[in-house]
Amino acid sequence: MTQPVKHKSSIAAHPVTSAIIAIILIAAVFFVLWVPLYARATPKVGDFPFFYFYLLVYMPVLGIALWIVVMLQRRLRPAPDPDAAAVAGADPGEVAQ
Amino acid sequence: MSHVNYVTFTIVLVLFLVVTLVGFAAARWRRAEDMMHLNEWGLGGRGFGTFVSWFLLGGDLYTAYTFIAVPAAVFGAGAVTGFFAVSYTIMVFPIVLIFLPRLWSVARAHNYITPADFVRGRYGSRGLSLAVAFTGILALMPYIALQLVGIQAVLTVMGVGTTSTNTFLKDLPLIIAFLVLAVFTYVSGLRAPALIAFIKDTLVYLVIIVAIFYIPTRIGGWGHIFAAGQAHLKAISPTTHKPNGVFIPISGNSQLAFSTLALGSALALFCYPHAVTGVLSTKSRDVIKRNMSLLPLYSVMLAFIALLGYAALADKTTAAHVKKAGNAQLAVPYLFQHLFPSWFVGVAFAAIVIGALVPAAIMSIAAANLFTRNIFREFFKPDASPQLQTRMSRWVSLVIKLGALLFAIELHPSFSIDLQLLGGIWILQTFPSLVSGLFTRWFHRWALLAGWLGGMVFGTIAAYKVATPTTSHWAGSVDIEFGHTVYIGLAAVILNIAISLVLTVILNATRVPSGADETLPDQYTADPAAAPAPVPAAPGLGLGAPGAAGDQNLGMT
Repeated sequence: MTQPVKHKSSIAAHPVTSAIIAIILIAAVFFVLWVPLYARATPKVGDFPFFYFYLLVYMPVLGIALWIVVMLQRRLRPAPDPDAAAVAGADPGEVAQ
Repeated sequence: MSHVNYVTFTIVLVLFLVVTLVGFAAARWRRAEDMMHLNEWGLGGRGFGTFVSWFLLGGDLYTAYTFIAVPAAVFGAGAVTGFFAVSYTIMVFPIVLIFLPRLWSVARAHNYITPADFVRGRYGSRGLSLAVAFTGILALMPYIALQLVGIQAVLTVMGVGTTSTNTFLKDLPLIIAFLVLAVFTYVSGLRAPALIAFIKDTLVYLVIIVAIFYIPTRIGGWGHIFAAGQAHLKAISPTTHKPNGVFIPISGNSQLAFSTLALGSALALFCYPHAVTGVLSTKSRDVIKRNMSLLPLYSVMLAFIALLGYAALADKTTAAHVKKAGNAQLAVPYLFQHLFPSWFVGVAFAAIVIGALVPAAIMSIAAANLFTRNIFREFFKPDASPQLQTRMSRWVSLVIKLGALLFAIELHPSFSIDLQLLGGIWILQTFPSLVSGLFTRWFHRWALLAGWLGGMVFGTIAAYKVATPTTSHWAGSVDIEFGHTVYIGLAAVILNIAISLVLTVILNATRVPSGADETLPDQYTADPAAAPAPVPAAPGLGLGAPGAAGDQNLGMT
C-alpha cells in the first residue's frame, strides 16, 4: 500500500501561502453555510431584502476570492516540480498488476 | 395548434435548426486522427481550454431544470426549497477546488474516463466500481428525463402539439427534437454539446439580462416583486393549513434545512458522471482551477432566474395562468410569454430548449461511458478494443436517450422530479468512495461498499416516507432525521461515512485484503503542462486499457 507523503512537501515549503489558501476556502464556505449571518430582511439594499442582496453579492466576491486562490496555488508549484517530474519519468513500469 | 404564435414558433424552429447544423458540424471541430476512441468521442480529445470549458461546464451544470424548476420552486415555496440553489452554487466551487484537480491529474495519468474507472484503479475493487457506475447511470436517467420535461414545459406554453389526445402525436415535437439530439450526439460525441454550449449561453445570457432589466419595469419594480413573493409565502395554504413557504429562513429549522440542502447538493454535484466528463475533457489542471473561479458568474445568472419565480407571482396574469394549469414548472415560460414581444419570446424559449439539449447530450455520453467502461468491458468483454468501446458507447447513448424519452412521455412529470430528488440522494452516496479516495487509501473497499449500500437504502426509504397532507410519499427531500430538519441526502451520506469508518477499522484489524492500488501519490498532483504526462504501460491483464499506448498524445493535437 502506498501512502500519500510526498505532495505534502509543497505545503511545508510554503506554510504561509498554504495557510492563506486554506483560510480563504474555509471562509468562502463558512460565510454562506452559516445562514444566521445573513437571514435578515433588513437593512434593505435598494429594493432587495438583505438575505437576497447578500447571496447576490456573494458570487462576484467568491469569483475574486477563488481567483486569488488559484494565483496563490501557482506560487506553490515551483517546489514540487522537479520532484513530480522525476516520479512521472519513473511511471511507465508502475502498473504491475 | 390553434393558439400557436407563429412568430415565436418560427424563431424557435430557426434557432433549433442552427443548433442542429452546428451539432453535426462539430464532428469536424478540432478533428482528431482517430475519432473511434473514447478519449475523442467521449471526452472531446481531452484538450478543451479555459474558454471552451467554461461554456461546456456551464452548459453541463446549469440545465433546463435550473431554468424551469428552480424558479418553479421559488414560485411555490420560496427560499428554503428554492433559493437554496443559489447558496449551493456558491458553496460548490470552493469545495470542488480542493478535490477536482486531484481527480483530473490521476485520471490523466491512468487514462480514466469515468469516476468508476478511478474507483476501480484506486481500490482494485470491481464491486465498488460497479456500485459507482450503477449509481451514476441510475441518477442520470431521471436527470435526462427532466431536461425533456423542461422542453415540454416550453412546448406546452407555446401551444405546440397539445391538442391531440394521441400520446405520440401530442409529443411529436419533443420526439423530433430528441431524435435530432440523439443523432448528432452519436456522430459528434462530446464535441457537439461543447460547441452548442456557445450558442446556448449566448442566448441564455441575453435573455436573462433583458429579463432582469425589463421585467421589473413592466410589473412595478423589484420592491413590488419581493412584496408579492412575501405575501404569497406568508399566506396560509388551504390544503396544508401552513404558510405556503419561507421568504427568509429565520427559524432554526428552516435555516438548517436551507444549509443542509445547499451543502448536500454542493457535495453531490461533481459526483455526477456528466460533471466529471466535463472536467476530464479539459486540457490542464489550471483550466479546471481557473474555471472554478469563473463559473460563479453563472451563479449570478441563476440567482436572477430564481427571482423570476417571485416575478411570476407579482404578475397577476402569469400567476393566474400557472394556477389554472396547476403546474409551477410553467411559471417562467408563461412570464416570458406574457411580458415579452413574441419574437423575443421565441429567443427565450429557444434558449431554454437548447439549454436542455446540451446537458442531455453530455449526460447521455457520461452514462454511456459508464456502461461501456465499467460494466461492458469490466464484466463482459475485458479485451474490448478502443474502437469497440467507442461503438458501444455511441449505441448506448442512443438507448439511454430513448429510455429517458419514454420516461418523460409515459410518466407524470412529477414522477420524474421525484426521481431526480432521489437521484441527488443516490449520487451523494458515491461521494465517500470517490473523494476520500483522492486523498487517502485508509478506507477499506468493502467498508465503502457497505457504507454506500447503507446510505442508498436509508436515503431511499427516508425519501419515500416524506409526506405532506396532499402527497403521501416522495413529497420532498427534506425531513426530520435524527431529530433535526435536514436534507435527507446529507443525513444518508453521514450514515454512509459512519458505516465506512467503523467497518474500515474492523476490516483493517482483521487484515482482510484491501486490494491493489494502481495509483501513485504523485499522480494526484501531476500536471502534464509542467511535467510530461506519463504513458501508462499496457498492463499484463486485459483489465487495464488495451491500446492505451498513444492515448496520451491525442490531447496534444
